[in-house]
Amino acid sequence: MAYKYLGKSYIRPDAINKVTGKAVFLDDIRLPGMLHAAILRPKYAHARILSIDTSEAEKCPGVVKVVTGKGCTYRYGDNIRDLVPMAIDKVRHIGEPVAAVIADTPRHAYAALDKIKVEYDPLPVYIDARQAMSEDAVLIHEELGEYWHLPTLNPKPGTNIANVYHLKKGRGEEGFEEADVIIEGEFNYPFGSCAALEPHGSIVWFKEDRTIEIWSSSICPFIIRDDIAHSYGVPVSDVRVHIPDIGGCFGYKSDITVEQTIAWIASFVPGRPVKWVASRKEDITSTLLAHGIRTVMKIGAKRDGKLVALKTTVYHSGGAYSDTAVNVTIAATHNSTGPYEFEHCDLTGYTVYTNTPPVGAFRGYGHPEPQFATERMMDMLARKLNMDPFELRRKNYLREGSTNSLGERMWKSNGDMQACAERVQQIVFGKPKEKQEDDQFYYGRGFAALMKSPKGAPFSTKGCYMKMNIDGSVSVNMGGAEVGQGLRTVVRQIAAEALKIPPEKVRCYNEIDTQFSPYEWQTIGSMFTMQGGRAIVRAAEKLIQGLKKTAAQVLRTDEDYLEYDGEYVYLRSDPSIRVPVTQLARGYITDNGITIGDLAQSVADARLPRYSNPDQNGQGNLGVTYTFGAQAAEIRIEKKTGRIYVDHFASVFDVGQVINPIQIRGTVLGGVLMGLGAALYEEVKFDEEGRILNPHYFQYHIPTYKEAPQQTIEFIETPDPIGAFGARGIGEHPVIGVPPAILNAIYDAIGVDFYEIPVTPEKIKQALEARTEKEYA
Amino acid sequence: MTEKISFTINGEYRSVEIDEEMMVIDVIRDVLDLTGTKRGCDNATCGTCVIVMNGKAVKSCNTPASKMQGANILTIEGLAKGMELHPIQKAIAESGAVQCGFCTPGIVMELHALLESKPDASETELSNALNKHLCRCTGYEPIRDGALIAQQLIRERMTEKA
Ligand code: FES
Ligand code: FES
Repeated sequence: MAYKYLGKSYIRPDAINKVTGKAVFLDDIRLPGMLHAAILRPKYAHARILSIDTSEAEKCPGVVKVVTGKGCTYRYGDNIRDLVPMAIDKVRHIGEPVAAVIADTPRHAYAALDKIKVEYDPLPVYIDARQAMSEDAVLIHEELGEYWHLPTLNPKPGTNIANVYHLKKGRGEEGFEEADVIIEGEFNYPFGSCAALEPHGSIVWFKEDRTIEIWSSSICPFIIRDDIAHSYGVPVSDVRVHIPDIGGCFGYKSDITVEQTIAWIASFVPGRPVKWVASRKEDITSTLLAHGIRTVMKIGAKRDGKLVALKTTVYHSGGAYSDTAVNVTIAATHNSTGPYEFEHCDLTGYTVYTNTPPVGAFRGYGHPEPQFATERMMDMLARKLNMDPFELRRKNYLREGSTNSLGERMWKSNGDMQACAERVQQIVFGKPKEKQEDDQFYYGRGFAALMKSPKGAPFSTKGCYMKMNIDGSVSVNMGGAEVGQGLRTVVRQIAAEALKIPPEKVRCYNEIDTQFSPYEWQTIGSMFTMQGGRAIVRAAEKLIQGLKKTAAQVLRTDEDYLEYDGEYVYLRSDPSIRVPVTQLARGYITDNGITIGDLAQSVADARLPRYSNPDQNGQGNLGVTYTFGAQAAEIRIEKKTGRIYVDHFASVFDVGQVINPIQIRGTVLGGVLMGLGAALYEEVKFDEEGRILNPHYFQYHIPTYKEAPQQTIEFIETPDPIGAFGARGIGEHPVIGVPPAILNAIYDAIGVDFYEIPVTPEKIKQALEARTEKEYA
Repeated sequence: MTEKISFTINGEYRSVEIDEEMMVIDVIRDVLDLTGTKRGCDNATCGTCVIVMNGKAVKSCNTPASKMQGANILTIEGLAKGMELHPIQKAIAESGAVQCGFCTPGIVMELHALLESKPDASETELSNALNKHLCRCTGYEPIRDGALIAQQLIRERMTEKA
């Protein structure tokens, strides 16, 4: 389909502000009378607090107040209300706030922190889900049975299991009776950090007029607003949340995280705004961690390669509070099929309380972790069946007419998995491999297919407000957070297309203000282009309808006898009888000043159509929309060092409709590099006491300039029936296939199967040594 | 202990009181309110805080403020001439190198130090300079593209002048 403004690269509306240093991020905000907070973290990851002595700290220079959790009577959370803003009688992880100092400068606040004395009585520490699930494990939440939770969740009071989700499709485990071949494996996707360049931060101001004003580097202003209002017993309308520019998110700035803690602290100094910005160390040790997912998988297939049954058990080490982890586990469980059809599924996901910082969203939200297992297993199964892995996959891809684990039927309009796979196969495997090894290197190529759906919710809507100005330009407000993904560019282009005006005439800003921005649940799940785009199209249609209504009175005709072209509303039969939109924007003013019609403005919203809660089998319309894709890696392994070099990486996704080529390429480039980081470098490491060993960039290595592979990126465009102009989600997808593609390439290079990431040079060297020993044995 | 220092920043002469434990970033952000310079880490690894001091790219987070005495300093706010962007800003904005933009000021300043003194910098020099900066969003390719376009624009500007 040919569009006027879609499929073209326009510069981001926020680019100039960002290259001139004028974009305002959280830490750049200065308010009159603002104070600064520093937060004390515990010595132990799991312990009872016996006493806290703040008297010395209170005497330090510049200190206004020292705060502890004493007296806090509320808990918060949107899924399981298990969170506290500050430890009350117990600490459950190493990054938990124990006390805070409020002072005139950050320096004074930090200096006084050392003076707070805390006595602890340590408790056993659990890092891995399976330790915490053992019979004799000490309870991390004795009160689990008392917590409010969503009716769809299933916590197990008296254990450390925060939720069990189970899905049965077909005959479930009995389906394996129909299999000729069965393979099993256990895979680990360790803890990670989103590690956005901008650390988390918040400012909270309890004002004398009993309103609460908040600024935060968050993608869920409306959740923060509703939650804080609930906790402090004020009307939701009296809490106002501002979101400035955000320096990257990738998941961990979703859900309510640091804001409740800063609100608790600020509530002790009413009338003064209190700012807190995480150090890098705090960003990694006290905000949301990622992954921590162990996937145990069993696949049954016919001898001809037809998949019949899948059994998956997901053990999710959810951290000390599970509010943010439960939905990741659920997504990981039902998406563990990857892009394949299994007639029988028996899928179980455990979210387990452990003594790490809470685990939450990471780009991909429960898809990269189990599909890492699925895609490694597909290669292993192909070997076992002595079959071409592409042929094995092709036989089983979800396609028109098949049903996924959730029981959702797939339509042609869901996208073309096979076309993506074939294209990647051509790009990377189209020519025979040049060599297997030389003096210095082993060479390998690996493939992975993938799918992702958003993780929606019943109330996951996105709103749009637009007004046409007297010169025909249009101001658009949305509640979706711009974290760098470029959604303001998307707003501009979609609004331009829908309103038939050039993108330059559409203005939207990055800031969100819950008082003025339309409601949005939260900006997650790669849903903005689809759902937000749909809200824009709906609002544009209403706005055009409004213009026609006014014009009908001016031109003395029926509304449906009018056409609109961006500049004029005119008679269908005679375009020369027309009225310019510039004369309709504020209503039409007649010669004698009498004005008719309404302001040209409109509001609309859009959600995932027919999204539903899971039924008793764990099935339902939980996915609604899917994006399929395929990826492949070409790697070199250095014999001497065990280092892996990714020389080339290819990705093809069926995105429905490309909105902005330069921007969508950027999304994939960045996502692939993030996946490469997970595959080769990134793991947040704990010692046995629950302390984080690598909370800095020089220890938690994220990929650098020289480690970026050359990338080939292409798109297939099978229009989607939901998304605006056929567009589908793509934000998270590029990370998903990267680790399995690279690990499949490692097998191709040296014949060794790895089951966990990151695959470091040491692990490669060990594997190579073990291989040599075997050869000589 | 406080100390008084004077320097030129973005073409303006300034005199300020500093505490001895202050770093350059504290003076720039908190005393002078030039918030375009960012802080992304605790120990000089990310590069978001890079500014140009006496023609060299330096990390403002680990350079003691006393080093500013008598120095000529340039921050991201000092590059554009009124409404006219510096060629590096223009190139970086147009190449897709900006996503969240948190790494952007540091990268622009790094390129400024390199390309203004060495418009013919080799690809290796460019990649050594960019390798000092972390970016979590872009995958770096658009940053490289932007750097190459910027280099081109700076060279053109020089031939025009000659
Ligand atoms: S703030 Fe990270 S290098 Fe200076
Ligand atoms: S653009 Fe976000 S860190 Fe570079």
